[in-house]
Amino acid sequence: MTNPLTRATAVVRPATGLIPSLGGASRDRLTTTLQYVGLAVVLVLLVALPYLGLAPYYVNITTTTLCSALLAASVNFLLGQAGLVSMGQAGISTVAMYGVAWGFKQGWDLGGQLLLALVLTLVVSAIFGIVSMRTSGIYFMMVTLAAGMLVFGLAYSMSSITAADTGISVDRPGDLNSRFNYWQWYYLALAVFIVGTAILWVVSRSPFGASLRGIRDSESRMRSLGYNVAAYKVGAFMISGFVAGMAGVITLWNNKLVTSDSASITNSTLPIIVLVLGGVGTLLGPLVGAIVVTFFSIIMPSFFERWETLLGVVFILVIMFARAGIVGGLGRLYRWIRRRTGGSVRTPDVGTPVPTSNHRTTA
Amino acid sequence: MNDPLLVVQQALYGFSEASVLFLLASGMTLVFGLMRIVNMAHGAFYLVGAYIGIVVSTATGNLLVAILAGAAVVAALAFAADLGLLRWLRGQELPEVLVTIGLTYIIGDLCLAIFGGDPLGLAGPAKEPAGGFQVGSVTFPWFRLLVIGIAVVIGVGLVLVQHRTRVGAILRAGVDDRETIAAHGINIRWVFTWMFVAGAALAGAGGVIDAGLENVVPNQQWDFLVKSLVVVIVGGLGSIAGAAVGAVGIALIDVFAKVYLPDIAYFTIFLPMALILIFRPNGLFGKKA
Repeated sequence: MTNPLTRATAVVRPATGLIPSLGGASRDRLTTTLQYVGLAVVLVLLVALPYLGLAPYYVNITTTTLCSALLAASVNFLLGQAGLVSMGQAGISTVAMYGVAWGFKQGWDLGGQLLLALVLTLVVSAIFGIVSMRTSGIYFMMVTLAAGMLVFGLAYSMSSITAADTGISVDRPGDLNSRFNYWQWYYLALAVFIVGTAILWVVSRSPFGASLRGIRDSESRMRSLGYNVAAYKVGAFMISGFVAGMAGVITLWNNKLVTSDSASITNSTLPIIVLVLGGVGTLLGPLVGAIVVTFFSIIMPSFFERWETLLGVVFILVIMFARAGIVGGLGRLYRWIRRRTGGSVRTPDVGTPVPTSNHRTTA
Repeated sequence: MNDPLLVVQQALYGFSEASVLFLLASGMTLVFGLMRIVNMAHGAFYLVGAYIGIVVSTATGNLLVAILAGAAVVAALAFAADLGLLRWLRGQELPEVLVTIGLTYIIGDLCLAIFGGDPLGLAGPAKEPAGGFQVGSVTFPWFRLLVIGIAVVIGVGLVLVQHRTRVGAILRAGVDDRETIAAHGINIRWVFTWMFVAGAALAGAGGVIDAGLENVVPNQQWDFLVKSLVVVIVGGLGSIAGAAVGAVGIALIDVFAKVYLPDIAYFTIFLPMALILIFRPNGLFGKKA
């Protein structure tokens, strides 16, 4: 292989150990069962939400939460399955936003807008995948970060098309624009969120997902088994990008605006924060993390001005002491209680490998 | 803009912008080269340096004192961050990067709380020499020449330290092979810590100088980070020469694009990065691994 990055990563082997060092509760059977129970409860709650007598304000906040959760879920797929950290995910979702917004400005119908968004999203995801497919670990982060910055630069510079930081305003489809229809808009966003999460879940369960986990755990072994690792990475990126695009579209309709700022580095790091707080590699992690971050960024400012500092502190504490995040941590807590009360505990099957020794020796 | 004097003036502006870009990126590239950490807090360190420099220069009126103070405060900050957080995560790349993201949020927000939301810059005697020299109808500020001079001195100093001293030899060996150098009895843990501190100090000093050219505003840490990343990627991870060439190239492209291609001016600093990523993924001066 001619790309020198490949050799560099082959020496350092950064991809392995990323997931074990951050949660890795994904295939623990007990946690998974718990997640199904949690999932059912959460689904019922989400569907019943507008009927619980909540003020429209809180329903709208929940819609915002769903948008950020879906973007985090797309990052979760790459990280949890393939062990790759995309630091440019907001770039992809922004491209989808611009697809819909530009089509809207031209007076296209909804189908045309979505088709343009789809094509743009897939093309850009493929480009993201191709420039990053020979890298892993920290180099993958750098390359995706750079790709995200490129999208931001383009969006900011091509102001005749994108209107830069003024942005393009859009209407929600149909009669969802009226503020009295907030709960109908909520259900549409919820449907998109559920479909997107389901897509990622199904792909994770497929042989394709298993191959990605193989790549995550040992890229060199998969390569020697004859897998085209680079192609798998591009494929994973396109699936993740597709869902990021879905997240972009509902975010656009939720804000009714897209600006170049949507692709900024802050918006690319936010889904990672959401994901880590919620729990990497877990089904409900993105949603739980999004609830936490939304609480910090939307509700907290009204009574505590320094919420960003607090969020940063909490985030660092989670990384230092509770890598599994909230969802993964609850699973561990449950297991611990079962052990203390003498119940039988199935040891995690398959399991993710412990960090390999080469990480320790380099320190 | 066809007047050659104007072109020279723009080029000089470009070099002064390149000087602060170099100071911004050199610390980041050194830290990455040795420690394999993408320090996302680098822009925040730069911002802290700028604010400290503004406070100290207002109090003392002395640029050198301000630069030293900015570097020292940021170095202390980085020392605490490394000892308290990063040391416990050595070799775990994702957690390391995530912690620096968390730090960026905290530092940026606290800067806003402490220094307020107004744009601030160096003022008064610290911006001496004031005025500029005049050639025909064109003037060029002395202060920008001073900035270029400072950057050249620091750059040459870094290269000398890297290639002429024992410390430099340890650093270069560390970049190439961390295990072997640890086996030779070098305490690589402390080498890492001091490298992180030195990189941050460079950012701190750079921030002070930058505050003399342009006002800083809250949340600019992300902006600084993006610029730094562009230069680091173009120059090649871990290379001082790469950071210098990358900074000059990006700054000149930026200055002239603003004149000749104002429509896509901002994108022109990302374009070189895209081309580098496609054709020379390790950057201009990156190691072939």
